[in-house]
Amino acid sequence: MIELQNLPETALDFADLVREHQSMVFSVCWHFLHDRDQAEDVAQEVFLGLHRNMASIQSAAHAGHWLRKVAVQRAIDAGRRRARRPQVALEDVAEPVAHTPVRDPMLAEMLRRLIATLPETPRMAMILRYQEDLDPAEIGQAMDMPVATVKSHLQRSLALLREKLARRGVREEKWTG
Amino acid sequence: MDWLERELKGALAREEPPEDFASRVMRRASAPVRPVYRWPRWLAAAAAVIVLAGAGLGYRQYRGEMAKEQLMQAFKIASVKVNRIQSAVEGIGK
Repeated sequence: MIELQNLPETALDFADLVREHQSMVFSVCWHFLHDRDQAEDVAQEVFLGLHRNMASIQSAAHAGHWLRKVAVQRAIDAGRRRARRPQVALEDVAEPVAHTPVRDPMLAEMLRRLIATLPETPRMAMILRYQEDLDPAEIGQAMDMPVATVKSHLQRSLALLREKLARRGVREEKWTG
Repeated sequence: MDWLERELKGALAREEPPEDFASRVMRRASAPVRPVYRWPRWLAAAAAVIVLAGAGLGYRQYRGEMAKEQLMQAFKIASVKVNRIQSAVEGIGK
């Protein structure tokens, strides 16, 4: 009688992994690239890469880390190929009307556009920090970067965003109404 | 976490891909992989060597022919001059 071995990789179902992680992979690409079609293409390539490497994936957690890391790399590569970094020029960001309370969706859209103007490394660090709620150490692992560098990118990006928002008249007191 | 960070979390919240995303991934993953034929590298290198060697030989031949032509031209000029001098010398003797 042949004893069935409970190999970890056989327990992993590719379709389940796609369903579980599709929003994470797609959102990393979408927030980084700001192009829905391109984000979808890159996200598909990420999952096809996982399919080719299923034999080396040891657990569901490993698959999640693998997908996050590869999504980060592929999105950055796609952004470089596109060769026009800020797809939305800062000048195109809608200015809020003075003395008008800033509404939540408007501020969210402005923030997304401002993040799109950041250079690729801090942009990806910000996406992983606020989309995926990762701490600097986890971001460092995903991006192959020292923790101190990640912290520096996050701090500088936040300071830059505050400055740009202030120039557009967006401050905490306005937002809180 | 201050107001800006809270707003960033909202602005960068995860979004769902199109509804048929997973099914399209599954379809592509299950599609048979077509073998891509690639020329062996050594063949490409050998072809490059042959082309370069051929070009080199052709250039050498061209340079040789040019030198031969120049030499023949020089001989012709020298021959005309020698003939003139010979005529002049013969004229002095008469």
